[in-house]
Amino acid sequence: MDLTEGEKRILEGEEGEPKRISMRILKRIGEIKGADRFIPVASAHLVGCSYQIAGEAGIEIYKKLVEQGARVSVPTTLDPGSIDFERWREFKTPEEYAERQIVISDLLGKMGVIPLWTCTPYYLLNVPLFGQDLAWSESSAVVFVNSVIGARTNRMSAYVDLCASILGKVPRFGLHLPEERRGGILIELDRELSDLFSDVHFPALGYLVGQIAEDEVPVITGIRKARFDQLKAFGAAIASTGSAALYHMVGITPEAPTLDRAFLGREPVKRVRVGISEMRKTMESMCTYDGGEVDVVGIGCPHASIDQVRRYAEVLQGEKIKESVQLWVCTNEMVEKMARRMGYIDTIERAGGKMMVGTCLNNCPLSRWNFRHLVTDSGKFAYYTPTTVGTKCYFTTTKACIEAAIEGRIKGE
Amino acid sequence: MKSRLKGRGCSSGVVKGEAIVSERPFGFWQGIDPKTGVVIDRRHDLFGESITGKVFVFPYGRGSTGTPGIFIEAVRNHVAPAAIINLNSEPMIIVCALLAEEFYGVKIPVVDGFELDHLKEIRTGDRVEINGESGEIKIL
Repeated sequence: MDLTEGEKRILEGEEGEPKRISMRILKRIGEIKGADRFIPVASAHLVGCSYQIAGEAGIEIYKKLVEQGARVSVPTTLDPGSIDFERWREFKTPEEYAERQIVISDLLGKMGVIPLWTCTPYYLLNVPLFGQDLAWSESSAVVFVNSVIGARTNRMSAYVDLCASILGKVPRFGLHLPEERRGGILIELDRELSDLFSDVHFPALGYLVGQIAEDEVPVITGIRKARFDQLKAFGAAIASTGSAALYHMVGITPEAPTLDRAFLGREPVKRVRVGISEMRKTMESMCTYDGGEVDVVGIGCPHASIDQVRRYAEVLQGEKIKESVQLWVCTNEMVEKMARRMGYIDTIERAGGKMMVGTCLNNCPLSRWNFRHLVTDSGKFAYYTPTTVGTKCYFTTTKACIEAAIEGRIKGE
Repeated sequence: MKSRLKGRGCSSGVVKGEAIVSERPFGFWQGIDPKTGVVIDRRHDLFGESITGKVFVFPYGRGSTGTPGIFIEAVRNHVAPAAIINLNSEPMIIVCALLAEEFYGVKIPVVDGFELDHLKEIRTGDRVEINGESGEIKIL
């Protein structure tokens, strides 16, 4: 890689250990991936901030970096932590576990991060622009900012994201290059599926596309309209079942005004048709039981927007959740404050639902609850909760999730 | 020695170990328990197996970007794999090795740059020597 004089000095340690280590690691990745030089990034988003991910090793690494004077050099937000910082006792989080998360929070705070604790920082406080280069982690957020906003980031990962944030730079390769953003595999929806495509199909299609895309950029045709939150759910599911960091949805996402532009004039390497039967099979595969019992309903993955919280409140208006069931709505502190002011959270809490803020079912230790059956509308929860929470999982529409909490049962198909 | 493969060295160190092979992509977050090194992803064909001290062969990394967090915690707990062989290593897999060396002084060779057919030459249980710098792999 070609380094500037300033970058060479950093590598020699003239700007301190944190920058030297960061550059050494990023330079090595750049060399392996064929980068020609470093480029500045506009912002970073970190995942190694949860105790569940970072563990004791993370605490040791952050302590060392803080002692060496590490500071982030671009706006840097944090992914969900492993506790609800205000209500961790209500979620039965062991005290010693909460303490370790607070240690991480303090250490990262000393480096100057924005403690947003969310997987959807792109709604607020860390909003990328089209074409901007970024250093982001969190597989669902990476997919979102690349695909829906048209910003440019490789899938960073725990610690490397921090290295890039300390340095304010990343090696230029992969999705920073326009050529690498071209479509590879074409996913065509059948007309009948297009006609009935609705809310629940976004995470389900994402779940399927993640599995078939392998390491190609998927291009989807046949979706006529999509809301911000639906694209968020779609991308989160893609990134759970696969490793795609970018998709194009023709007529919807900014780098795909036409099929031709999505593929930069080339032929797809592969074409896959998806119809109603493939969709049905995928939704079946997302359920690990046939319905019936429910202990916990988890919604808000990725973290709910105000509009989603409003929709939940509408269904819960004047209702009461069964005592045997927990309904948890995951979101971040900013959405929670605003939605509370708007009265939505009052409705949810009066019905017996709980707000889970700054964390989620995938990050928070929940073994003390002994949950066995989880119902969700999220492709990402459907993929991970059998491992993270240790439950069987039933995937369905948002409305059916909330109704399951009210009725205390989930009707199978 | 039965055969020899040449890939691209992505880290450093030379180790010998027993291979554990999967043809399915792997994510470490919710993929292994960083306290034991055992695969906890129920959907994966290696569910219940230990990857501790083994030469872990899989096509490429998938899923959560929390991978290095879990991996380095496993290094700290002495339950990480000894080496990794991929078709095409994602940066987050390479980073696991770079961080292990930087912060814990542990060298974990990572070699990639293969076609699936080449990797089929390595079978679970084979003794393998792998050089993380030169990219050379010997099936012993």
